[in-house]
Amino acid sequence: MELDDLKSIWKQDKPGFQPKQEEEIASMIKGRSNSIISKLKRSVWFELIFTIVCGVVLGVYALSLESGALMWTIVSLIVLFVSYLFYYVKKIILLNKFDSSSENLKNSLQHLFDRLAAYLNFYKKSYAILYPVYFCLGLLFGALESGIDDFFHRLSQPKIILYLVGLAGIFFFCTIWLTNWYLKKLYGNHLYKLKELLNELKG
Amino acid sequence: MKEHQGLIHKVCILYETDREVRNDLFQEIVLQLWKSFLTFRGDSKITTWMYRIALNTAISGLRKLGRKIKTEELDEYHFNISESLEDHREDDLQKLQWAIRQLTEIERAMIMMALDEVPYDEIAETIGITQNNVRVRMNRIREKLRKLMS
Repeated sequence: MELDDLKSIWKQDKPGFQPKQEEEIASMIKGRSNSIISKLKRSVWFELIFTIVCGVVLGVYALSLESGALMWTIVSLIVLFVSYLFYYVKKIILLNKFDSSSENLKNSLQHLFDRLAAYLNFYKKSYAILYPVYFCLGLLFGALESGIDDFFHRLSQPKIILYLVGLAGIFFFCTIWLTNWYLKKLYGNHLYKLKELLNELKG
Repeated sequence: MKEHQGLIHKVCILYETDREVRNDLFQEIVLQLWKSFLTFRGDSKITTWMYRIALNTAISGLRKLGRKIKTEELDEYHFNISESLEDHREDDLQKLQWAIRQLTEIERAMIMMALDEVPYDEIAETIGITQNNVRVRMNRIREKLRKLMS
């Protein structure tokens, strides 16, 4: 079967669809986009607002505390939150600049892949590396508050060591599991799909 | 947009079999076209520009991976074969649409443009590959379609 035969089948008069009316199209324009970029933008905006709210709440709470381990832990968390804010703002600016209409399919897929991979990497690193850092910070300030000698004395007891190792394990497992679950729910296997499409185009 | 909506419908039909998801895809394409309209410089045909956005949206969208051929879809195609000339033409179109859906998403994009008489240089530009590559791939696609439709 030649291409011309296929073309003649393709160009049959009868449209296999119900044409949409102008009003229907107009209402579609007001709808919410579900593209990857729009979804990423919504996620980053949500995280930006969530970080600001948490930072403010923690800041207010820290002000009500007397100087101590808890207060310094909260202050260090707020410092971390501020660095996150810079990242989120930069990410939103980058996502706003993304315009797939001016690019061919290959470039558009490549840029989407790069942005999604960078975002997912950032997320995984944040939770897999920074949360253990938070955990250690808590321990450090706890040690400073109770006195270094007392802390090391307690730390030499096998029961306390086991308790801390267990707690760190649960904390680490839960954060990794939660991160993976959240990312899978949001983006599924989309990164893999984009990679496959790019491989096909490059092959 | 109203004038060329057939193009959007074709993309939706070839990329989604589920009616509800197809409507969502139609809306997403309309939205992307609307958002991008200000950046349309007019240096290519409006249909080529629409193809680029519609295919970008359909291919890069958040949909399920590796959808298998649904048995109902096959049954529907095999058992609805009718006798009249009019129905035969319609059967041919359904058969062609079914065959195109068995191709990869990139191949579907290429054959759809080729069937709509988009020149190879514009297909190459839209997809982001060379014209030679388009020719080679089109031969492979034609061969695949011939086997699927025989």
